[in-house]
Amino acid sequence: MNTLVPAIGFGLVTASILAVAGVGFTLQFGVTNILNLAYGDIMTAAAFVAYLVTRAGISVWLALVAGAAFGAVFSVLLNRGIYTPFVRHGTRLFGMIIVTIAVSLILQNGLLAGFGANFFSLTMPRPSTVHIAGMVFTNVQLAIIAIAVVAMLLIHVLLRYTKLGKAMRATATDPDLARSCGIATDRVIDLAWAMSGALCGLAGVILVMNVTAFTDTTGAQFLIPIVAVAVLGGIGQPYGAMLGALVIGLASELAAAIISPEYKDVVAFVILVIVLLARPQGILSEIATRKEVAA
Amino acid sequence: MSVAWQFYISTVLIYLGVDVIACWGLNLQFGVAGLVNFAYIIFQAAGAYTAAVLTLGPAKPARLGGFQQYIGGAHLPFPLPMLAAGLVGGLLAAVVGGFAIRRLRSDYEAMVMLVVSLIATSVATNQVGLVNGPNGLALVPKPLASLVNLSPIGYQWFFTGLTVVIAVCVYWLVHVVTSSPLGRTLRAVRDNEQAAAALGKNVTGLRMLAFVLGGVIAGISGAILVEFISAWSPGSWLYPETFVYFTAVIVGGSGNNFGVMVGALLVPVAFLEATRFIPQFGPPGLIDALQWIIVGVLALVFLWFWPRGVIPERRRRFPVAGEAGARRSPLRIGTPR
Repeated sequence: MNTLVPAIGFGLVTASILAVAGVGFTLQFGVTNILNLAYGDIMTAAAFVAYLVTRAGISVWLALVAGAAFGAVFSVLLNRGIYTPFVRHGTRLFGMIIVTIAVSLILQNGLLAGFGANFFSLTMPRPSTVHIAGMVFTNVQLAIIAIAVVAMLLIHVLLRYTKLGKAMRATATDPDLARSCGIATDRVIDLAWAMSGALCGLAGVILVMNVTAFTDTTGAQFLIPIVAVAVLGGIGQPYGAMLGALVIGLASELAAAIISPEYKDVVAFVILVIVLLARPQGILSEIATRKEVAA
Repeated sequence: MSVAWQFYISTVLIYLGVDVIACWGLNLQFGVAGLVNFAYIIFQAAGAYTAAVLTLGPAKPARLGGFQQYIGGAHLPFPLPMLAAGLVGGLLAAVVGGFAIRRLRSDYEAMVMLVVSLIATSVATNQVGLVNGPNGLALVPKPLASLVNLSPIGYQWFFTGLTVVIAVCVYWLVHVVTSSPLGRTLRAVRDNEQAAAALGKNVTGLRMLAFVLGGVIAGISGAILVEFISAWSPGSWLYPETFVYFTAVIVGGSGNNFGVMVGALLVPVAFLEATRFIPQFGPPGLIDALQWIIVGVLALVFLWFWPRGVIPERRRRFPVAGEAGARRSPLRIGTPR
């Protein structure tokens, strides 16, 4: 019991980061159907942007904004510059996997070449701890949870109550039908990449706010739990991803407390493999299994 | 030729042999059967581990001076560890294929395989009793070293010859498979699964067969590598290595055994070996990072300009009796290749 309650606290923090990252991932995947394996590396790149911002003496909260803005711009450019041209060129599902892994390797090693194989950390405000129901949080961790909750509420409002949200859901369900109904699917896809990229950048920064040090592979190591969250929640289902984040965040931190910290990620891996193999249609929904990549 | 050059050239040739064999195995799975095995490197690692353990002998406990722990050690004479490596690669492929080969979209299949690869690395690193954890195995004896009794450079060339012989055997195997009716059926399954199934082909069985054969070949390639460098560690078999092999297969020409050989010569050997000649510059790790960037760019460039590779798979035409094409070019009948 003594180790389990704090583990739940860690689980909530991990779940918050996973929720932001997972919702971003699932939004983009749902709309464009491209499995973007460079997502984790864009997170790392955003973290490095935040690192540069804080090193310039600017507060970490502005660094968060900078990271999110970088993620959004970078993702739109990545899609416009590389992914969409490849899809229009006739590259299909497997080819796109190779493309996204190539981008991931280029980005990750570009960061390694630019920043060197060192450990980095953000300049953070003075830490203080808060005890809530037996769980211990630092002020930064509470801020991470708050940021995640606010981001999720914003996404909820955007998807449910705006025309853009409706257009996005329509494009995700059937891009051809959406286009023939007069929805500018190109613009919707751009906006999906921008939103997904902003969440990705935000997630990258809050991920490294929560660790003592990060390297060029920090985001990439976080990719599989993110994919697990998206797949568990159902591809293209932001609410599913939020729930998935909660499940995987808590499960992995509890596994770390009960079995061994090394097996933290294995939990997410195993959940992902089981879901993909046992119920790919059921959970990924008909849409994702039948659809080709959309451009 | 000076001894240093001879050492260098024979080493590159052995690496080339290992990479060519591995690429043929991957080509059988991906190029011919269309299986997206992003855990390919794991089968090579398993073969390497098997060969290492079966030549190292039983693990000594630490109190008797043993410095590495592993399971199932034995001293087997030369060809047996390599054959066992192939066997283990094949068995592992049967196990992984048994649960992972489903009717999944190819990018999900790649995802599942990628995760299998990550889980395997994680378990191998964290369960120290299994394969000595992150340190891996070292001091693997070289095959036949005491028997042939050669000078170090003589042994290098002997090992090179051994690699060539094995490569020729593997080529014969993949050639027989790809040029036989079996290869034709595998390509049919790759190109149109439903049509192949409708013609009564056992789609799952065929895919499984290609997967296991690829696993056997991967295991053998790993065995050659570990007996040559005489060390094994989980850190050298991570999933980006699989990406290198995929790039080699795509660059060479997926589905074409000869093209894949050229791909293995270009990507892992030319691009990753040639950079040794560049004088060291920048902070440590910079050249490694640049190599990976080059491999990534290479994959993108080839997917864009030559998605079928430098030596594309030959398009095979099978004229139907009575069809116009069959009458116009009667020579094509009976010579489908």
